[in-house]
Amino acid sequence: MFKLDRKLIISASVAATVAMLAVGCVPGAAEPEGASTVNGKPTIDGGLMYPVVNDKTGPYYVNPQVAADAPKIFNGRTPTPNELKAWNTDVMPDGTGLPEGEGSSEDGEVLYEAQCVMCHGDFGSGGGGYPALSKGNAYELQKTLTNNRYRNAEGDGPTRVFGSYWPKVSTLWWYIRDGMPHPMSKTLSTDETYALTAYILNINEIEVDGEVIDEEFVLNRELMLKIDMPNDKGFEPNIDGPTGLDDVRAFYANPENFGAYKVKPSERCMTNCKEPTAKVTRIAGAGISEFLPPMATERTLPEVENAGGGAKAQYEEACMMCHADTSMGAPAVGDANAWAAVMTKGIDKVYSNGINGINGMPPKGGSSLSDADFKSVVDYMINNSK
Amino acid sequence: MDNKKSNQEVDVSKRDFFRKTAALSVTALAGTSLISSNARADDPAIMHHVSWGQKWGDPVTKNLYGIPSAYEHNVTRRNTKLLASGNYRASIAVTPIHESMGIITPNGLFFSRSHGGTAHVNPNEYRLMIHGLVEKPIVLTLEQLKRYPSVTRTHFIECPANGGQEWRGPQFNSVQFAKGFMSSAEWTGVYIKTILADLGLKKEALWMLAEGSDNSEMGRTVPVDKVLDDAMIVWGQNGEALRPEQGYPVRLLLPGWEGNLCVKWLKRLEFSSEPWYCKEETSKYTALKPSGKAIQHFYANEVNSTVTSPSPEIPWTHLKDGDIVEIEGLAWSGMGTITGVDLSFDGGDNYVEAKLKGLVLPKSWTRWSYMHTYKKGEQLLLTSRAMDDAGYIQPTIDQETKIMGVESVYHRNAVETWEVTATGEVNHVQIRS
Repeated sequence: MFKLDRKLIISASVAATVAMLAVGCVPGAAEPEGASTVNGKPTIDGGLMYPVVNDKTGPYYVNPQVAADAPKIFNGRTPTPNELKAWNTDVMPDGTGLPEGEGSSEDGEVLYEAQCVMCHGDFGSGGGGYPALSKGNAYELQKTLTNNRYRNAEGDGPTRVFGSYWPKVSTLWWYIRDGMPHPMSKTLSTDETYALTAYILNINEIEVDGEVIDEEFVLNRELMLKIDMPNDKGFEPNIDGPTGLDDVRAFYANPENFGAYKVKPSERCMTNCKEPTAKVTRIAGAGISEFLPPMATERTLPEVENAGGGAKAQYEEACMMCHADTSMGAPAVGDANAWAAVMTKGIDKVYSNGINGINGMPPKGGSSLSDADFKSVVDYMINNSK
Repeated sequence: MDNKKSNQEVDVSKRDFFRKTAALSVTALAGTSLISSNARADDPAIMHHVSWGQKWGDPVTKNLYGIPSAYEHNVTRRNTKLLASGNYRASIAVTPIHESMGIITPNGLFFSRSHGGTAHVNPNEYRLMIHGLVEKPIVLTLEQLKRYPSVTRTHFIECPANGGQEWRGPQFNSVQFAKGFMSSAEWTGVYIKTILADLGLKKEALWMLAEGSDNSEMGRTVPVDKVLDDAMIVWGQNGEALRPEQGYPVRLLLPGWEGNLCVKWLKRLEFSSEPWYCKEETSKYTALKPSGKAIQHFYANEVNSTVTSPSPEIPWTHLKDGDIVEIEGLAWSGMGTITGVDLSFDGGDNYVEAKLKGLVLPKSWTRWSYMHTYKKGEQLLLTSRAMDDAGYIQPTIDQETKIMGVESVYHRNAVETWEVTATGEVNHVQIRS
């Protein structure tokens, strides 16, 4: 029954749209309003819809037979209960999808040091282009979100890390389980996911039940659902509850809310438009010009890459991010002393450590290189570090 | 070998010759005379046989899937270390829009953004599940999905961080990096509402989770309004299967909305009465305002435009006084159809109307053009400003930052300016208080 209603409503909007399109063709006409609808309501994003009118949506023809036949098309099959269970594993803020389990901050730290630190840095401080997870007390840092260099160009900007910015813990738990560790995701158990979540809550000094989460803390489902993140109320428009869509719709109905600008075409500024205080602002310093490959528009033939580029290319693909310098704690290519120290173990041990992973380094650096290719990349790195 | 080498040189000089004389011949047609002494010299590219004209070319059996001319090797996506997150696996490679023609991006140049690397999905193991608040949940194979009646639509996809590195001032002296976090294609797929016509959306359904099968299990929450309007599940891109970088074999397409919402390697659509709070709609893709509040669920890419020629990549250093040159650019809006583009030569103080050209389609790249007679030594500030049929116009930088501040990263659509120097170099500048 509901399906039918929605269809009727969609087609009922057609008449209104025809009227709008006719008006819209006149230059300088009043801006179109309520151009079209879904479920009898105006567009949710502040933009236009192009419903089907005379078998066309905007400039595109559509086959009118499709609307009549669509309710009879069921090309697939019904998923089995086990299939639904296997894939329906998303985690929502109210605990939907969040399994029972537990993990301590202490265990989380061990996991973090083994599988996360090489990218997210000590105590979640970030590095290597990966996001920081903590910069200290989340409640204090949440207050930096009003730091806007619009007001003070030289001042500090806002600190947006998990603790200070993210509205929900469920997001973290869900993403750790499904997206982490980045080179080999979906390998953490439920309890490991709780442990890592506990550790990240710990380093952000998040509170639950009036207590700061410390190293001894053991997180479980019940406790996780009690946590209110410091910036939970930091987002607009509201999206929760039965009014969620209407609240979003109302928000985008007002361009002032989101930095957009509406004007009747006939009233737009064509002369003497510049704000009196506006001036030419150039790129500061050299700007960002390290483009890969370098910017060029010539049509000369490319230089042929010299042989032996395989290991170099694989190094750049899989290893350079950590081994280019010492910022990730790995021996840097070109650092003869660091590699000499590594080589005291003997080349076979160096190979096997790399293949199996060592310290912060995941097996083969997270690459899918064959053992032979991996060894040639190691050789390349050693040869360039003498 | 020597012969071959000299032919390469010949080819280069031929290109230079055309570049120089193209403007000249236009000048001649326009009746303003002026023949330079260069043009009188006999061109070796004409006077001698060219190497490719005196030997067999490749057999048709070579390159059964064609590739561009080797001479076009500089026309590529590019990346930069600033945007190198995750060993280039949570990163972006951007489109050379200064080399783009028309309103379609070739599939190999379509900008590429992923959150766990480009997944390579086996189409034979591909499954799409649609479930949650529907009367009849469904699992589809790729073949079953593609049996639904298809529609083909031309739409841009834009990362909402396009231009987002430049809220506080210009940083990239490049149109590829300043505006190339977007591309445009002709997409083929099925409207989700066509599939739902049978599955039956329940009345309580307000939101749809779209989830990818990639390493990051990329997910986003979509309001049902969009699902019932023009949301598509697509498998075709410019007449062929999606490229892996665009989500092969199947991605979500929400015309005009944030590229991130157009989930790639799509595996699952679930309907619910409450939103999900996925990572990429909380930690990122939210726009922090000076109030300290951030806009979440920021959907449509607002009306926008850029000059693509000239640009830092395509300067006017080779132009001579009196040359007639086409100023060209792109305009686009995720909220409707481009209705006009204005062009300023003085950084947005005074505008003239530019001309739209080619197809003008909803939520699509739109080409615009303005013919200009170049005066040697002139210094210009070229600013374009687009409007759409939803009633929006691009704001000035001051207008936009007054509301959004400079920390919001996403959805920056204020007008952008290229400075043309006296020598014809082109630099990215901003006109702002």
